[in-house]
Amino acid sequence: MYKKSNYNNNVYWVEQSSYIPFDPANTDYQAYLKWLSEGNTPLPADTTAEENK
Amino acid sequence: MSIAISGSTITFADLTTQTTAAGSGAGFKNRIINGDMRIDQRNAGASITQTTANDFVVDRWNVTGSVASKFTAQRNAGSVTPPSGYTNYLGITSLSSFSVSAGDYFRIMQPIEGFNVSDFSFGTASALPITLSFWVRASITGTYGGAISNASQARGYAFTYSVSSSNTWEQKTITIPGDTSGTWLTDNGVGIYLIIGLGAGSTFSAASGSWITQNYINTATGATSVVGANGATFYITGVQLEAGSTATDFERGPIGTELALCQRYFWKTLQPVQLDGYNVGGPIAYQYICNPTTMRATPTVSSNFSGQLSATGGVTNISVHGFQAVTTPTAGGVFRATYNTGNTISIEL
Repeated sequence: MYKKSNYNNNVYWVEQSSYIPFDPANTDYQAYLKWLSEGNTPLPADTTAEENK
Repeated sequence: MSIAISGSTITFADLTTQTTAAGSGAGFKNRIINGDMRIDQRNAGASITQTTANDFVVDRWNVTGSVASKFTAQRNAGSVTPPSGYTNYLGITSLSSFSVSAGDYFRIMQPIEGFNVSDFSFGTASALPITLSFWVRASITGTYGGAISNASQARGYAFTYSVSSSNTWEQKTITIPGDTSGTWLTDNGVGIYLIIGLGAGSTFSAASGSWITQNYINTATGATSVVGANGATFYITGVQLEAGSTATDFERGPIGTELALCQRYFWKTLQPVQLDGYNVGGPIAYQYICNPTTMRATPTVSSNFSGQLSATGGVTNISVHGFQAVTTPTAGGVFRATYNTGNTISIEL
């Protein structure tokens, strides 16, 4: 599962507690794009930067 | 004082000889990183159980399979004595007697960056032959297999080698002709996949000894299945892939160099970074953290914080050179969070 990030040019990968940058050479980003293409939608960003509460 | 050069052999005045592989310059003949399995940033020698994902064991080497939990992988598994001159190896131990079906595969793999094999000139009429060499120690004798493939894994070459004595280190050499067809990346994508097969069915196997267009070749048809015997062991080290038709001595880089090569793809924080601030209207505290070396591409960065005081943590402005750890206050006054030891920065192929 992914969540939109409050920070620049990345998405939050919930299971891995990680930020994935929007770089086509990043295999995690490739997996995210594939996930999107399958009709999935990321969770909305937290109202504050709470990805790591 | 004189020397004589004949083919790939240099003979010195005292009649000692040195053999070099044709086409390989000094200093970086081995295109395998961590071929002697010294670097293990993730697991520090601990065992992992194989899953259906590409899980990295020692640096640059990953393992996977079509069915989870059929083997474990560990640096120096079984604690046997490595081959002379080596201190580490990658060990596989089968967890069951699994009979592979057509669609099954189990493997060790190193994806090699295109920049590092561009001189092989694969996919052109000038493609060079390459030679793979390694030490292997297996509990089961027989014919084993593996494969070389391109980034799309639509073009591959299956190879075989024989293990003639059980539980005995044997050095193997396999020369592979250069592939004049197919698409081979020469940038920061996957140039070559090197696959060491641990068992595969017909879908992921191919006849050995020729380049073919077939998807996802993992090994040679009929190769020994390590996962097919409960408790079977397969150990490997001293892996070298070089240009030319001759296997030369293993190129052992300085530990700092080898670590830096590994950290182009993965590193993890070994010290905590505490970020403090005082909120009088929405400030954010940043700390820039440099990568130890320029990374292959923009990495995925984990974001584990501790010790939060009226703050949350995150990561932003990720680049090949570094990133910013961030704390954002959730209340007025003092706020704090610590970016933990053990966070991972990864841009594996």
